[in-house]
Amino acid sequence: MPMKSTPKSLMPSGALVMLILRVLQSGPLHGYAIAQKIHLLSREVLGVEEGSLYPALQKILLKGWANAEWGISETNRKVRFYRLTAAGRKQLEAELQDYDRVTEAIKTVLQTA
Amino acid sequence: MGELWRRMWYLLNRQRMQEELRDEMEFHREMAESAGAERRLFGNADVLREQAREAWGWTWIDRLFQDIRFGMRTLTRSPGFTIAAVLVLAVGIGVNVAAFGVFDMFVLKPLPVRDPDTLVRLERKGPGGSFASNVAYPSVEFYRDHAKTLSAVLVSTDREVVLENESKQVRARFVTGNFFHELGAETAWGRLLNEDRDERKDAAPVVVLSHTFWEERYNSDPAVVGRVVHLNHKAATVVGVAPRNFSGLGIPHEPAFWVPLTQQPYFVEGSTALTDTSLGAYMDMWARLEKGVTPKMAEQELTALTNDLRRQSPESVWKDERIISKPGGYLQTVHKDDVPMISLVATLVLLILTVACSNLGGLLLARGVTRGHEISIRFALGASRGRIVRQLFTESLLLALMAAAAGLGLGYVFLKAFLANMNVAPWLDPVPDWRVAAFAGAVGLIAAIVFGLAPALQLTARRRSGARARQVLVTAQIAASCVLLIVAGLLVRALQFAVSNDPGYDYEHILVVDPDLAAHGYSASAAKSYLDTVQARLRQLPGVISVGLTSMAPLGHKNVTGLTGYRFGIFVSRVEPGFFETMGIARLSGRDVQRGDTDGDVVVSESLAKQMWPAEAPLGKQFLLEPTDPTSKKFTVVGVVANARTMSMHDPDATELYQMSDDASLPHMVALVRTQGRPQDIAAGARTIATGVDAGLFPNVRLLSDAFHEEVGSVEKGALIASLMGASAVLLAAVGLVGLVAYAVSQKTREIAIRLALGAKKEHVLAAMLRQFVGPVALGLIAGAGLAAAASQMLRRILYGVSGLDPLSYAGAIGLLATTAALAALWPARRALRIDPMEVLRHE
Repeated sequence: MPMKSTPKSLMPSGALVMLILRVLQSGPLHGYAIAQKIHLLSREVLGVEEGSLYPALQKILLKGWANAEWGISETNRKVRFYRLTAAGRKQLEAELQDYDRVTEAIKTVLQTA
Repeated sequence: MGELWRRMWYLLNRQRMQEELRDEMEFHREMAESAGAERRLFGNADVLREQAREAWGWTWIDRLFQDIRFGMRTLTRSPGFTIAAVLVLAVGIGVNVAAFGVFDMFVLKPLPVRDPDTLVRLERKGPGGSFASNVAYPSVEFYRDHAKTLSAVLVSTDREVVLENESKQVRARFVTGNFFHELGAETAWGRLLNEDRDERKDAAPVVVLSHTFWEERYNSDPAVVGRVVHLNHKAATVVGVAPRNFSGLGIPHEPAFWVPLTQQPYFVEGSTALTDTSLGAYMDMWARLEKGVTPKMAEQELTALTNDLRRQSPESVWKDERIISKPGGYLQTVHKDDVPMISLVATLVLLILTVACSNLGGLLLARGVTRGHEISIRFALGASRGRIVRQLFTESLLLALMAAAAGLGLGYVFLKAFLANMNVAPWLDPVPDWRVAAFAGAVGLIAAIVFGLAPALQLTARRRSGARARQVLVTAQIAASCVLLIVAGLLVRALQFAVSNDPGYDYEHILVVDPDLAAHGYSASAAKSYLDTVQARLRQLPGVISVGLTSMAPLGHKNVTGLTGYRFGIFVSRVEPGFFETMGIARLSGRDVQRGDTDGDVVVSESLAKQMWPAEAPLGKQFLLEPTDPTSKKFTVVGVVANARTMSMHDPDATELYQMSDDASLPHMVALVRTQGRPQDIAAGARTIATGVDAGLFPNVRLLSDAFHEEVGSVEKGALIASLMGASAVLLAAVGLVGLVAYAVSQKTREIAIRLALGAKKEHVLAAMLRQFVGPVALGLIAGAGLAAAASQMLRRILYGVSGLDPLSYAGAIGLLATTAALAALWPARRALRIDPMEVLRHE
């Protein structure tokens, strides 16, 4: 059964970065695992395609929010694991705060308008 | 900062990072597939990877390398085209590099001395245009003792001296003791001059050898240090050898010896050089600026000091004299008068580059036909016009880069050949420095834009109009070649005039005997008795027809004193009766100079008389020494003589003025001896006579024909360079035209075939094909002639003897180019007519 993915336009790349950082918080993961985890945790609402996952991961590496290190996958393959850095934790916190503020604001507007 | 660092790190490890990303994405796909996803859900892996890499901001480099790799492949696939293109452009760039190399070497590159930027050369400037590039030694001492803006003052002056018993004189440069030290010279052998040791009153006479002279005369023998040599029969010890790369201060001719200036009176008996304050006692003066002092500040202080100096010795300072400073650490500074010459050369070499560029543009355009297919495929595959233009332009850039490298080498070869002909000092280094290399690169870049961008835009345009671009290229090439040819023609004609035209005197039979009495401190009366005795004895020599005296030896390249303020320069000589007869200059009217003449009685050349009074008889006419000052001295014309170009062969106007010698000019007089047979036969006898009267003199005895041939030789070299430039322009233009016509023909093969098949006459087809080039060629010729005519104002200031509108040069250039164009066009066109129409049509 094909995955029911969220259309790309509904998943802004900023949000994707935040989600990746969040799923990395509990420990290092490889790219496919990140996509899977987001998919599962979102109760299969959010699908992450290669085309948006890897640019986001490259950006995270460039900004220094995560390190890449080699490890062995569950299928016994050599693969790159992404591990959150201190800078990444800080970034995640900042993004979560921003997110909270914005959602609060949107909620308020929706409730009072 | 961390982000930038990571970006750089990524750039350095790009290869590995890209491979890792590929593996990672591959793993991702495998996992997804095994989880049940279908492969068609994934996009193009290459595109996805490229999108991911974009985060690092380096993808432009990848694209650039792609373009370069692709461009290289394209170029190596057609080596013939590539080599031709690189060669054509390399010639254009090489000529420019050589010209810029000369400019760089003489003007931009500092001399190889310590701290060249704080060195200034000091010159004198008076009101009303009086100017002297040198300063009397007592004035130098005054400035040195009083100036606070200068940390050191350097003086240098040249003299010919006799070494041991050699017949030919050698050049000695007398310099202050601080000269070597201030310029930061290291010694090659022994020691150099030293202020403390060599400028003392009781200092022993010493000389330092120049490196070249040490090699040539002493076979690089280090044991020469300590040896005693005789200059002007005076013993001196060789204390050392100057280093090979020692440039001194910017005179490209190396002396044989460096000698302490304070010892000049010892070497030149009777010399008053150190005490003389008259204008004739010249010395070149440089100074080192005190820390933090600008040249302007030094000028102000020295000008103020000049006012004090005038109170002390009014005779050596002009009224309202100023001291000006020029950058001293360079071989040349550009003077306002040099600008027309520099712009002329720059224009000529740029025109050659223009021809090369339009030539190459034509080649690229012609090649574009064969690439039209490739380009349309790439359009069809979705490439944007910008992307294709960028690819085509990258190829042009690659060509330009190779041509710039080749041009740099070619320019070096040209420059080396040029220098080898100039007999310059060994420290002048033609190896291109960073400035020349940067210049070559910049010229290459500009050339790439000129020859590459237009065809690239043309080839990718939706509506192609190859004919228009072709016509523009033909016009540009013809116009630029036309200007080059006309200017070359004018140069050759002007130089021809200088060479072939009779200088106005009998140079083949004249011997010059210059005793240089002034340098030996002769007074007017001593000089008079010396000259009288020598003249009388010279007349006794067998074969001598006559003897004359003048203050200005012909073609002697002395500092010419001229009258300024007129529309034209007037060259003044002091002569004695018999001068015109000896020189073979005919008297046209009036009388010769004679004893008892006042300073106002003058003999003028015919040309000067014509310039002053175009329609009137000159005899008895009066004119002012300074035309703007009615109280200035009046001249009265007592005689008119035929034109003679005694000062320079390049001066056809021959506006010369002769006065009877006076007391001041007597010690500067030079004897001219006219002989029946070969003048060299009496040279030894004349020398014996000149030294017989005073053994302390070392007269310079030379043939006027030598000076003449030297002058002619330099003129011929100039003509040769001009002709080579013109010839290369014609050659380039011919090659370019052949290419363009061949291109036009290849585009019209089908049309030609149809016409021939339908029974058109070959001549008509040929004419129709060539007709499209008639307009551009004619337009180019008109534009070129017009441009050359517009530039003739500038040319007139450099070229003498021919008007800027010399009809022969114009007609010759236009005729030659028209013929070349016709032949260049006929060749490929005729080949096209030999095609078999049926064959072509079947093929299509």
